[in-house]
Amino acid sequence: MADRFAPGDTVRTSTTDPVWHTRLPRYARGAVGRVVEVAGHHPLADDRARGLPGTTRAVYHVRFAAADLFGDGDHAVTVELWEDYLEPADPSGGTP
Amino acid sequence: MSRINDVGGMVGFPAVVEEPDEPAFHADWEAHVLALNAALIRRGVYNLDEFRDAIERMPPDTYLSSSYYEKWFTAITTLLVEKGIATPEELATPEELAGG
Amino acid sequence: MSGNHHGSSAISERVRHVEALLEARGLVDEGEVDRRIDEFLAGGSPANGARITARAWVDPDFRDRLLADANAAIREVGLSMAGGLQEQRLKVVANTEDEHNVVVCTLCSCYPIALLGPSPAWYKSEAYRSRVVRDPRGVLAEFGLELPTTTRISVWDASAESRYVVVPRRPEGTDGMSEEQLAGLVTRKGLIGTAAV
Repeated sequence: MADRFAPGDTVRTSTTDPVWHTRLPRYARGAVGRVVEVAGHHPLADDRARGLPGTTRAVYHVRFAAADLFGDGDHAVTVELWEDYLEPADPSGGTP
Repeated sequence: MSRINDVGGMVGFPAVVEEPDEPAFHADWEAHVLALNAALIRRGVYNLDEFRDAIERMPPDTYLSSSYYEKWFTAITTLLVEKGIATPEELATPEELAGG
Repeated sequence: MSGNHHGSSAISERVRHVEALLEARGLVDEGEVDRRIDEFLAGGSPANGARITARAWVDPDFRDRLLADANAAIREVGLSMAGGLQEQRLKVVANTEDEHNVVVCTLCSCYPIALLGPSPAWYKSEAYRSRVVRDPRGVLAEFGLELPTTTRISVWDASAESRYVVVPRRPEGTDGMSEEQLAGLVTRKGLIGTAAV
């Protein structure tokens, strides 16, 4: 399956709060960031932690402005996120 | 259902404390816990994500009051029971069984 | 090694008990635990990161290759990320006058162990993991690293598959030093981003 996103794309992270193991940290949920690179393809950790085989999906480095995560700060935070956690950001929703 | 491990951005934790001349392990048992975990993952008893999941499922107060390798040991014993390798009674030392 | 930590003998007894049980059930071979401990202690070391850093300082082309594809570049100097269960992806980021990088794993304790050896206890602490993503400048100041306000800070949350190493800035006045001497300047904290060189 082709990668859904490419470097430069603006993405919004999921807001869902699963009961199981996930690698989308709480502080980075529902936030808009920019894809900086494709960091390989791996089975989704959420699936592997539940003993499921896990479909291999793209993993991206997504860069967020701290102010978009915490409402404050002039630094950037880059988080490695599976494609499953990401949706295209609404172009009117602003960019980091 | 965010878990206690998911502390990024949380406020209230104290200043970071460095330990000068820190050894790789602070006690022999810590090294044994690391080796046992590697052996069990290598044998496919569980995988690394299941191991992380087992750490995250610890009760928050236990998680926060446990040392790093105490968390690991808790996760190992949790998974050994869940995978049907051993019962809690078998995993307990005679002293633990005697103490209830 | 033991004895100073509260409850150390009780947990030591429990670990010994579980280890004996697993050996009896054939899930751990005799001698395997000691062999794995020896392998772990003989594995990665901050000296590997120091070698990579020094090479990047003296060889701009190597630096470019390192930042573009770290797994391939470190093989040039005889290193690899294949020390664990499988080869992990390595991402190397370099500090400049304008940008400082610092690495954390907020969800657990992901760290390039195969390359750099065990991580320091503070890296695994809730204090570091919670605070450095929100207030890196404050946390770095606690480490004694005061960065100019003009230096942007970039935090990398190593919470998935990649592992990260920071290449610190080469200090002033080191032009005459050999690659080996330069490597001797690099610390583990420098490779995580909580210290300068």
